[in-house]
Amino acid sequence: MPDPATLYGLLGIVLAGLGVHAAIVQRDSIRRLLAINVMGVGVFLVLIATAYFGPDQDPDPIPHALVLTGIVVAVAATALALALLRAFERSEDE
Amino acid sequence: MNESMALTIALPLLGGLFAAAWPRRCVSIGIASVVLSTLAVGWLWFSLDAQGPSDQALGGWTPGLGIRLHVDALSILMLSMTALVVLAISVYASHYFTRRSQAARFWPLWLLMVAALNGLFLAGDLFNLYVTLELLGLSAVALTALGGNRAGIAAALRYLMIGLLGSMGYLAGVAMLYAAFGTLDMQQVAAQTGEDPVSQAALIVMTTGLLLKSALFPLHFWLPPAHSNAPAPVSAALSALVVKAGFYLVLRLWTEVFPDTISEHGATLVALLGAGAILWGSWQALQAERLKLLAAYSTVAQLGYLFVALALFISAPPGLARELLFGALVLMALTHAFAKSSLFLAIGVILHRSGHDRIAELGGTAQRLPATTFAIALAGVALIGLPPSGAFLGKWRLLYGAISLEQWLLVVVIGIGSLLAAAYVFRVLGHAFGRSAYSLQAFHSIHEEWPALLLALTATLLLGFGSAWIWPFLEHMA
Amino acid sequence: MTPGALLYLDLLMMGLMLVLAVGALYARSLRHAVILFIVFGLVVALVWARLRAPDIALAEAAIGSGLAGALLLAALRDRRRGAESAPRSPAWQVVAVGAVVAGLVLLLAWAFLDLQGERANGPLADTVRANLDVSGVSNPVTAVLLNFRAYDTLLELTVLLAALLGVMSLGPQRPPMDAAEPMAAGLIGWLIPLLIVAGSYLLWVGAHAPGGAFQAGALLAAAAVLADLGGRREFRLPGQTWLRLLAVAGCAVFTLVGLAALIGSGVLLQLPPDWAGSLILLIELFATASIASALFLVYLGGHPPSWNSREGHPDA
Repeated sequence: MPDPATLYGLLGIVLAGLGVHAAIVQRDSIRRLLAINVMGVGVFLVLIATAYFGPDQDPDPIPHALVLTGIVVAVAATALALALLRAFERSEDE
Repeated sequence: MNESMALTIALPLLGGLFAAAWPRRCVSIGIASVVLSTLAVGWLWFSLDAQGPSDQALGGWTPGLGIRLHVDALSILMLSMTALVVLAISVYASHYFTRRSQAARFWPLWLLMVAALNGLFLAGDLFNLYVTLELLGLSAVALTALGGNRAGIAAALRYLMIGLLGSMGYLAGVAMLYAAFGTLDMQQVAAQTGEDPVSQAALIVMTTGLLLKSALFPLHFWLPPAHSNAPAPVSAALSALVVKAGFYLVLRLWTEVFPDTISEHGATLVALLGAGAILWGSWQALQAERLKLLAAYSTVAQLGYLFVALALFISAPPGLARELLFGALVLMALTHAFAKSSLFLAIGVILHRSGHDRIAELGGTAQRLPATTFAIALAGVALIGLPPSGAFLGKWRLLYGAISLEQWLLVVVIGIGSLLAAAYVFRVLGHAFGRSAYSLQAFHSIHEEWPALLLALTATLLLGFGSAWIWPFLEHMA
Repeated sequence: MTPGALLYLDLLMMGLMLVLAVGALYARSLRHAVILFIVFGLVVALVWARLRAPDIALAEAAIGSGLAGALLLAALRDRRRGAESAPRSPAWQVVAVGAVVAGLVLLLAWAFLDLQGERANGPLADTVRANLDVSGVSNPVTAVLLNFRAYDTLLELTVLLAALLGVMSLGPQRPPMDAAEPMAAGLIGWLIPLLIVAGSYLLWVGAHAPGGAFQAGALLAAAAVLADLGGRREFRLPGQTWLRLLAVAGCAVFTLVGLAALIGSGVLLQLPPDWAGSLILLIELFATASIASALFLVYLGGHPPSWNSREGHPDA
């Protein structure tokens, strides 16, 4: 019976890979941001998967705290990137 | 010891918060915070001298559970470099941003960036490093975009995306290490790494991410646009300090966390990339038409030297060569920080007074701005690596190391790189000392010119004559 | 649920995640890509819940999918018509990059599988449990965030502030939406108080159950966003000076508490066990306000009209 932690962890690695690939290959900034966020979800999935020990044992709270931090940092960076993009596109009109 | 460590990070942080909350006084708050942080670093130096390398377990929790701050010779040297360079740039910046709205945008981000740098050099926990890296990256990006010009915003956006890719790579490695070893503390992880698959995978992924952030060839493409389109004080900090942070992390990871995991091939690859950076960066600097672009490419080349030194150091067997190489790379990093920041500040003065930074049209600069031209000359000496600059001593020992390890290719590359550096520096000076159509009056401005001059003097004279103590200091406080 | 059925559920969710991710990354229309990304985020939140990470599930739904989704949709709206995506890289690059990335993925997967045998609930998790009583809270994640690894959380708040300062420096906020139509306005009228109550509850309950400052802050920011979207005048948001001070207050209070602890006990951020619970609540209160104002301001996309005013003033 494959361990869910292993399965989700591998999925996380695959998602991270998809994210990196799209981030490099896509040229549009918004698509790149989506890719970076997907990559982030992949890494978080690896962390949460390693924190999971089945329905009977409490999970390890430290990766949870790390992922929470990671989510906030990712959103902050996304917001800054979108603001830069908006300023850039606006400057085209001037 | 604990107090000085905490204050080194907390003072710029509180300063940044204060400056954000009270924009009217942002310049005074900014200068005060920077001065106080420098004093805190000085205090930390005294404590380090008295007590030797120390840790502080934040929150009182044992490291592993809690976060550890760590100070040793390398950290204090990096912290001092940051403090002094930031101080000089801050003095320049206090007069650079003439409109209060511009200044109000600069100072909070600037102070947060300083806090991030200090936090990074004191960090002893892998995830904490990730958060400080992100703080450094975001504040640096926001500062880069302050120029308001379209090219600057585009460069800032690209810098941000690349930075995010790099930090995600680093975080992926940290996740693997935690999964394998159950701790985030650098020293505890170091005790458990070896040649197992997880260590190797983590090393590769983390190094690649950090190399992106340190702009090692061929991952350097984001650097020239970002550094050349940012406002002058920001470019100075980016080239002198922010890229050094990436290099510092690779150094720490390689020497402390993964010493047994690194393979010959990895070191060779990095050495080759460094060689490529030296040649490509110097060549592009020679071709550059604008001073800022020249300075940015020069940074790419100098980073190449640092990574070549690192690769040689890692692959050197214990012995004289190995000790010399470590000090050499630290000294070169320090000298470059002072020299490059001086150069960018001097370029800022030229831009301000002449309205442009085109190299071909620099005629008459030596007459009009003698102090600034002198600063450029001194900084150039340090960038080429001529005596008596610190870079000369560093490069000399780097060459010694390369020769004793029989890395002839690298010896040749270092030689060519220095020749190219001489070429592009003398090209600039040649134009600056050239004639101009009009007769010109010398111009002096203390706040604008003195920071660049002092920085250049430090790079060339202070670090040159006074730097032999670095080697025993590093060994004694390892 | 029997292990077999759970496995099928897991495989279903994993498959769904993969499909949605590929859709979000490679969909032809950018609008579709963004919408698929938002849905992806919600599925991810479900997965976090399945993996027994309810705090993260809340945060992902509110911040990672909710707020990020709002930001992305607003960015799409800002973009002019016809300024669609630049074309993708040429095919050979796609394949070459794909090969390199596939190599890295295999490397990491191999390393990951290599450690599956020896995983045991790590020593750190036990240390957390052992020290939970003196931490001042009983939710282990909150304990890690606000006591054991509080320094990281402090820096994280600073990251959010830095992003906010960057966004503010880039230009004015985006133009406000038109007033909502009556039905939507009525709905918004109900939702906003609900969100405020839910947010405050999450802040309070975070000490002993899933929840906490970040989730609470996100809900409050959502309330503010709704007020902005609805164009309702009676929900007057705090003035600009207040928002600025609030955004800074979270980091400031956190740092000051940490320094006070330094003076008191000789180590930064070492909270005395008797006071830990109250100090944590104090920090979380300001942090929630900070996060809410920061997330809301970041959604607005630029500086409100009176921030950094004095353009054109003689000594500006």
